[in-house]
Formats: sequence, C-alpha cells, structure tokens
Amino acid sequence: MRKLLYAIATLAIIATVSCSKLDNFPQPNATLTGSVVDAGAGKTTIQTETGGGGTRVKLEEISWSDNPTPFYFYSMQDGTFNNTKLFASTNMISVEGAFVPLVQYDNAGTITVDKRQKVVLGSGAQNITFEVEPFLRVEWVSEPVVNADSTITVQARFSRGTTNPGFQNDVSDLFLYLNTVPYVGNNNYDNRYSKQVTYSGSAGNALLGQTIVLTTTGKLPTKRSYWLRIGARTTYGLKQYNYTDIKKVTLP
Amino acid sequence: MKILRYLLIISALACGINACTKLDLPPMNIIQDNDVFSTSGGVQIYMARMYSELPIEDFRYSPQRGLNMFWIISPFPAVTGEALSRDQRGAMTEAVLYWGDAYKLIRETNYFLQALPKYAANFEAADLDSWIGEAHFIRAFTYFSLAKRYGGVPIVSDVLQYPAEDINALDVPRASEEKTYDFIAADLDTAIAKMSGSNQQGRASKYTAAAFKSRAMLYAGSIAKYNQVSLFDDSHNRLCGLPPEKANTYFKAAYDAAVLLDGHFSLYKKAWAAGDKEAQYQNYVKMFFDGDSPENIFVKQYSYPQSVHGYDAYMVPLQCMGPNGYSSEVSPTLNYVEMFDGLPKNPDGTIQNLDGSGKYILYDNTMDIFAGAEPRLRATVILPGDNFKGQSIEIRRGIYTGSAAGGISPLIPAGSTIQYPTTNIVQSANGSQTPYTLPNGTKMNPAGASGTFFSEETCSQTGFFIRKYLDESLDKSQVKENNEDQTWIEIRYAEVLLNKAEAAYELFSAGQTGANYQQEAFTAINLVRERAGADLLATAADLNDLKVVQKERRKELGFENKIWWDLKRWRILDKEQNNSLYRVMMPFYVAENYKYFFDVRKDEKNRFYNFDPKWYYEQIPTDEINKSHSLKQNPGY
Repeated sequence: MRKLLYAIATLAIIATVSCSKLDNFPQPNATLTGSVVDAGAGKTTIQTETGGGGTRVKLEEISWSDNPTPFYFYSMQDGTFNNTKLFASTNMISVEGAFVPLVQYDNAGTITVDKRQKVVLGSGAQNITFEVEPFLRVEWVSEPVVNADSTITVQARFSRGTTNPGFQNDVSDLFLYLNTVPYVGNNNYDNRYSKQVTYSGSAGNALLGQTIVLTTTGKLPTKRSYWLRIGARTTYGLKQYNYTDIKKVTLP
Repeated sequence: MKILRYLLIISALACGINACTKLDLPPMNIIQDNDVFSTSGGVQIYMARMYSELPIEDFRYSPQRGLNMFWIISPFPAVTGEALSRDQRGAMTEAVLYWGDAYKLIRETNYFLQALPKYAANFEAADLDSWIGEAHFIRAFTYFSLAKRYGGVPIVSDVLQYPAEDINALDVPRASEEKTYDFIAADLDTAIAKMSGSNQQGRASKYTAAAFKSRAMLYAGSIAKYNQVSLFDDSHNRLCGLPPEKANTYFKAAYDAAVLLDGHFSLYKKAWAAGDKEAQYQNYVKMFFDGDSPENIFVKQYSYPQSVHGYDAYMVPLQCMGPNGYSSEVSPTLNYVEMFDGLPKNPDGTIQNLDGSGKYILYDNTMDIFAGAEPRLRATVILPGDNFKGQSIEIRRGIYTGSAAGGISPLIPAGSTIQYPTTNIVQSANGSQTPYTLPNGTKMNPAGASGTFFSEETCSQTGFFIRKYLDESLDKSQVKENNEDQTWIEIRYAEVLLNKAEAAYELFSAGQTGANYQQEAFTAINLVRERAGADLLATAADLNDLKVVQKERRKELGFENKIWWDLKRWRILDKEQNNSLYRVMMPFYVAENYKYFFDVRKDEKNRFYNFDPKWYYEQIPTDEINKSHSLKQNPGY
C-alpha cells in the first residue's frame, strides 16, 4: 500500500515538473495603426463595415520569403485600424476594400500599379495612411428627419470617387441601413426597417450627384435611439459597399 | 575426421542455400498491382472504388454537410431559392469544402492510368481502351468539381512520388482557370475517343463523356462571358476568370459535344400522349423511376441495404411522415412555381389571386387555380390538394371566419412581412389542432393535415411540397432514413438538350455562324417543352433572350442539385439574393361560403437571402493554404 502511495507521489512529481517552463518566445509587441483615407477632397476616412465585407489590411511578411502566405486583419467601421499584437517583421502592407485596388494587373497578369507600402514593424507603434480612391462617395445631404408616422427620412447623394474609367462600374444598390446599435452596415442591420433601392443595368448611373430621398420602411417603435447609415455600391469585383458616417436618431 | 569436416562444410552450404530463398517479398497482406490489374475482375473492383468516390451531388449531398452524407437537412434547394426549409434560413456557400478527397481520387485515376498499360497483354485492346477512357472521364469529372468551385486548381496528371521526389516538386501551384478547363476538355476528348457507346449501368460510356463535356464547356463559356472577378499569381496565371474572347470557343465546344448525342438518346415519353395532361404528368413522374429510360445518360444506383439514402424520409409531406419523423424539409417557393405555364397570371408574371376589384378570387377547391397548369409542375411540386400516395395533400393556413359578402380584401398589405391578423382568422400553432365548427355544423381543423401552422415548422412553409424523385410506391412504414434506394440521374438527355440550346443561343447572339444556331436552340427548347406539356415557342424569333433558356433550365432541372451552379456561372445569384425574401402562397378556407382563397405574401418567417459575391469563387480550405508554399487563396477570403 505504502509502495503504491510512493509510486503515485513519484508520478505526481514527474508530472508536475513538466508544468514549469512554457513558451520562451517573447510575445508579439509590434503595433500597427493607421487609416484608409479618400485621396480626393477632404481626406476623410473611407467608411466601411466590420468583418468580411469591409476593408481589410493585408500583411505580406517578406522577412523570410518572397512569396509569403498573407496575413489579414479587418479595419474598424470608421476606416481606421489598430493591431497591437504583431511580431516584429518586415512587411509589404496594403488594404483591400471598396476602392480602386492598390495592386492592379493588366490582362496578361503583369502588375501595372503597386501602391503597397514596405513597413518594418519593431517594438512600438507604426502608423500608416493609405490614400485611396473610393468607388463611390456617399454623403448625407441633410440631417435625418423623423416623420409623424414613425419613419425617418434622409437625403443622400452618391458620386464617383475615381476618374479612372476602369473602375466606374454601374451603380447597383443604394441602401439606407438602420440598426438599434451603433454597428450598422450591410453586415448588421434591421431588415424590417431598412430601405434598399436596386438599379438594374446602368439606371443607377443617372442618379450620380443627385439628391436622393430615402425613407425607412415600417413603423419604428418610439422612445428609443437608432443608428442610420447609407451605403451604395457598384458592380465591381466583390461588390462591396461604400458608406456615409453613422448618424444617431432618437425617436421621441 | 575428414568426412566429418566435409559433412560440416556441406551442411553449412546446404543451410546457406536455403537462405537463398527469396526473402525480399512484397507484403503478403497487401494487395499488389499484379492482383488488381491483371484480371478484368480486379479492374472492375478498382473502377467500383473510383466511381463510389465520384463527387456526384445526389441524394446524399447538401452544401452544409458535403458529399456522401445521409443527413441532408439544410437541403440544397433551400439555398438556391427553389424552396424554403425550416433548417436552412438563408443563402450560404458550401460549408464542407471539397478538396482533399478530390486529389485522392485524382491520384487513383493517375495510378490506374500508369499501372494498367503494363498489363495490356492480359486484355483485349478494346477493353483496355475503354477502361483508360473511363479513368480519363473520372479524372475530368473530379477536376470539373474543383474548377466549378475554385476556378484554377493545381493540375496533377501523374502519380506524385513521396518521399522519392523533392518536396518542392510536390508543392504544385494552381494552374490558370483556362488551363484547368482545357485540361478537363482534353481528358473528356480522350474519354470520348477511347470508350464505346455503351457500358454497364452506372458507368460512363462515350456519350456520358460527351454529355458531360457539354456541361463543363457550357460552364466555362458562361464564366468567360459573365465573370467579373480576376486573380493573378506571380507567374501571370489567371487563377480566377477566363478570357472573354474564349467564350465562343467554349460555347462551340459545348454545342459540338451535345450534338454527338443526337440520335443515341431521347426524352422519356413511354407514357406520354399528345394533348393528355394526365398522361404527360404520369410520364414525367415515371421518368425518374424507369431503369431503362432512354433519357438516362449517367446514373448513380442505390441498393438496399448496402447503399441507401433517406430522400423520401426528409421530403415527404407531413401527412405522409414515416415512423421515425422528419418530412417536409423542402417547400418550393411561389417564385419557383410561378415560372410554370398554365397558371392565371398578372401582367407582371406573378400569379393572379385577386380579382379586378382587389378582392380574393374564391375557389371551391385548392386545386382549381392549378387546373390548367403544365403537367411538369405537378410532377415537380405537390400542389395543395393534389393527390399523392392515394390521398389529397391538405395544405391550409387557416379558416377565415369574417364576412365574405362583397368580397374579401387582402389580409395584409401587399409586400408586407407582418404576421396575419388574429381577428377573423383561426389558425393552428401545431399539429394538435382544435377543430372549428363551420356554419353547417361540420368540424374542420384550422390548418391542413400537412400544415401550415404558425409556430411548428414541420409542415409546408410555402403552400407546396416537393414531388420530384419521391417514391409513391414506398409504404408509409418504410419512409425512413437510410431506407430508400431510388436511382440518382446525374445527367439526363433533357440537360444535354438544354446545354445545346444555351450554347447555341449564346453563339447566335454573339453573331457566330457555322450552324443555324437560333433554329437549333429553338428546336431543343421545344422538345423539352413538348414533353413537359408546357407552351411551345411559336417561332425561333421568340427565342430572343437568354432568360428564356435560363427559365427552361430552372423548370426542367429544378430540385436536381444543378440550379445553384447555374445561377453562379451566370453570375446572377448575387442579384437574385440581394436582401431578398421569397414569396409563398397560403390557402385559406372561408367558413361562410365553404370556398378557398389564396393569399400571396413574402415569407412569413422573414428568411432574408443574401449571396455574397465573393462566393462565386469558393474559399480554398485554409489548412491546404497553410500546408503549401504556392497555393494562392481566392479573393476576399
């Protein structure tokens, strides 16, 4: 019996020894912050949505290989990004989203435009800014108005953000998004009240620069706040939306 | 002494000689090439394995759970908009990604192609050719399954040797999408050239390869024409997208391949009779169950109990539910039903359920509105009140108890997604219903025996059930999972006709000459329509829009797991499923005058469909990307 106890105790000691030293590699401590801004007037940040349909930052680490598997992380919905847990490394950094691509190819697959930035990440923070041309600039024309029938009417305008004809695809959708939290966009909206307008073919192009009036659908419950945003998109590539900033409206 | 020494030497040598018996033997417990490839029986076994692994999206496929999985809830038709389902509440792309199994099967075909010729002396030349053709067909089928998902994929046409080969040589990068489709075409050409015109059921023949080529090349043509996405690697290979100028080359290849089948197959019309809707309906139903159908080009057979599926258990209407539950997985949408001819329609093509003054049209019977429907609709979809397994399939949303004098106005505003009001309507939450007493004293359940209930979702969600492929002769006690064994028809001649029509129409509209493409397309479409009992195109000039061909395809091949791929290759799915709700048609019974009306509305359960455009090219599994130095991911993932 005592032998057994000794045996168990010995095993326990052996087992716990392996619990000591763990990972001896220092934790990642490089920080990358930055923003994606409109190369045109105002240098405003390019509004986007969170997650897969929004802007993402692409890091190609060239410290070890010329042909690395890219690492991606997503931007916040206001068009800024911040990652505090990156390893020190040399990277080619670019962003992908609803704007003219930073890396462009011709029909033969030759790179014709390359606006990636080479960034050495070390300890501490690196801040980078990407100036891009959005497919569409979507703007509020006036403040949202709460109607007597518990709907909200907004005035919006969209226009081309690029003069490059290769990226002036047909405007296909205009969307007034409404949500009950400040995270709102094509990934996150209340489909009972949001209003979508679709344009077939090139019909939407005639509305470029025009003031468009949109009203939410359905009767909104009163005495609470809503967050609104307008998105529009073209048929280019993955058909991502460009957005306005977010406005909060409180129904009395 | 000397003798003893000799004896010793001799015995030592004798022992040594024994050791010369060959020890370096192949393991006896592993089957060797020699065992497999030296007899036709061995070859057949090898073939059986390859066929069983063929990525056919049949009764055992759903995008949620992948291939060869018995549990097909989250049914495919509820992803495309053909139907709604309680277990699939929106658009999706495949959750189980087909990649590793594909390369396993490709390796098996490559191994077969490498090993079999060494045993050529054992076989007749014709047999040998036929088998080699079959392996090429299987390889092409597998590569096409990859290409339609991912675009360009790594092409491996030899047996890779590991560890003999350098690891870098094994890390094969993706080929361009163009090279991938050209490789598929070349493999199929080899298959067509080497195989004979007939083979065992369930195995490919020359015409299977030709039919399949018409499908693959049609996909390539429409991707070349309609795709907007582009992805290049560092070596200038276009991994996503085909050159638009090659569209006509592919359409021509699809057309030529389809023409090869002319005269060798025909549409199933054994029970068909001109002008007889009942016969045409029965004929269309029987087509899926006739093993000798002249329309079947390539089938996958099932056999109880070795190889089974559970199609009927999941799909039958609620009132036909088997002993172990399920049923009602697929409820066809009104959007799908409205595509068919012979229904009363509004000028915009939607079904007419209101009279000129905006009141509901009343019917004695729920089947009355479908009296003139094309027979193919009845054979594809169970309509409310239609007969199935000797009973009327009763679908009713509720009983209207208000006054019918002066007509009944729509219950909810047009386009609304709100719930039905509770005043003047009695409804049921689930199958345990409280009967309502009608003015004449008879009792009636508010909802039908197969629904529709406002809470419980095991019922018809749309007013319809699926009919296609359901085995009417299967006893209710046998409607169980893993108990069905009807044959899956992977390619039938109707598809080849539609491939031909589409390719021909695309060639015609691109101004190509070489054949009278418009006339050919017109003839093919009308053959399909005639058999279906649909309205015929009057003249070739009426075939003036690709939408005519697309609609015919959706009607003819609906619920056969093909439509999603079609909508994807036409690049229209992101427009169809753009914050979209599908429409349903709910029968109500009017207590006052014992009649029915139909309410047409958007899906009551608010199942919004959004197809993300990046899904046109699926995500390559991330573990494959991480394993490789050269695999490039598709855009957006």
